[in-house]
Amino acid sequence: MELQGKVALVTGGTRGIGRAIAEAFVAEGASVVVNGRSEAKGEQALREMNAGDRVHFLAGDVKSREGCEALVKGTVARYGKIDILVNNAGGATGHAPVVDLEDWALEDSLKWNLWSTFWCTQYALRDMLPRQWGRIINISSVEGKHGKPGVSIYVMAKHAINGFTKSCAQEIGTQGVTINCICPGAIETDIMKDEGPAAAQAMGLTYQGLLDWFASEAAIKRLNTVEEVAVVATLLASEAGGGMTGTMYSVDGGTAAY
Amino acid sequence: MGKLDGKVAAITGGTRSIGRGMAEAFLREGAKVVVNGRDAAKGEKALKEMGGGPNIAYFAGDARLQSTADGIVDFTIEKYGKLDIMCLNSGGVQNTAPVHMMTNEEWTLEIDWNLNSVFWGMRRALNHMIPRQTGRIIVTSSVEGKLGKPGIPGYAATKHAVLGLMKAAAKEVGTLGITVNAILPGLIETDIVRETGPESAKAMGVETYEGLLEMFAQEASIKRLNTVEEVAAAAVMLASDAASGITGTSWAVDGGTLPY
Repeated sequence: MELQGKVALVTGGTRGIGRAIAEAFVAEGASVVVNGRSEAKGEQALREMNAGDRVHFLAGDVKSREGCEALVKGTVARYGKIDILVNNAGGATGHAPVVDLEDWALEDSLKWNLWSTFWCTQYALRDMLPRQWGRIINISSVEGKHGKPGVSIYVMAKHAINGFTKSCAQEIGTQGVTINCICPGAIETDIMKDEGPAAAQAMGLTYQGLLDWFASEAAIKRLNTVEEVAVVATLLASEAGGGMTGTMYSVDGGTAAY
Repeated sequence: MGKLDGKVAAITGGTRSIGRGMAEAFLREGAKVVVNGRDAAKGEKALKEMGGGPNIAYFAGDARLQSTADGIVDFTIEKYGKLDIMCLNSGGVQNTAPVHMMTNEEWTLEIDWNLNSVFWGMRRALNHMIPRQTGRIIVTSSVEGKLGKPGIPGYAATKHAVLGLMKAAAKEVGTLGITVNAILPGLIETDIVRETGPESAKAMGVETYEGLLEMFAQEASIKRLNTVEEVAAAAVMLASDAASGITGTSWAVDGGTLPY
């Protein structure tokens, strides 16, 4: 039990990567708040996770400062503190090549991925720094290291999260709080199924062609899984993770060049 | 239930320092482990201290020799029936010096110890793992695998080189159920650093051994050195079944030292 007694908040934790991380944390003894926009999906997630009072759902949208503040404060209100923050919520709509890209799409992507990470981190640090213990795990992407055509709004946001993480790590390095990114390769989560077809179209591909492209770039020639991301999140959240900070950990089957 | 139940691991080095930390963590997680070192007496002592009973064995040999790299693989398979996890961990310097003062003897020693031994052990292990379509190779590189400090040119060169080897091998075996990764620890005050650190400090133009440790600590965001337990935890994760989708990666355990 590597996370016995710890309290975690996973934004966007009702499905996909966030859900797998939440389940892994619960299995290691943590109490976990999962978040999502839909009450119905939240209730369904709680039922499926079946972890009693060690899992709690908070409805809310991370695209506003108030929404993020409510999530962190709601976590502290429910379990008394926040030890582990997983900035997992994210995505993008309105993909288009730069020449045709509309402002709203970039603004929305930055709110969803970057600003949410900044806001939640800021509120979480205000609880973690006085207690001199914390783990912040930002779900970036292989697109935080590479670029792909047609999806620049996502690539920009994920690169920015990596830069944010590196600076923040140096600010808080001596205070018992670590901050890292996990950079997963493509995973066929619900959100990938929802948004993948539009992204593929912006890239001039079919949805299956998009998945095949990601798989072909990896040494393992397949997509990744949510469980593979969760095992790394558990390591970073653990006591032994105290010596790892400011790092972009790839879980991409051997895709990223660095 | 351990994360490595039923697995068999071999670790070059492994009687002390980082390798020892990996061996102890692997044992705790349910694996059988073979460790290696030059000195049979130290090996016996390490086995006794680790207390793994029948789940741990010692293979004597100098990690700079091909016979040791090949031998530990063969010994492990003979002893425990297979090899699932190969940790190519042994490495170091003896009398390091700036390039203009580096002797051929030291250069060759470092290449054998840090690069050739990794290649030999990896080749032998892969020949066993490929037919079985499963395996984990974990190379101990260093922050010096991405940086370069004055006075340790051979160490920096070889720790860079093993990353190239790791990346190429990862792509070769990526579809065969075998992952190949490197861990890049920041400085840890291990026995070997205590032994060779004072000489290395001089070669690096740092006045004292303490100055050398302080220089590394100050480069990290955590402003302290790392620990063997931190490296061991990363090794357990990379060795586990759940890590099958992680390969070709340079895994920093450096308290926020490396810029990438």
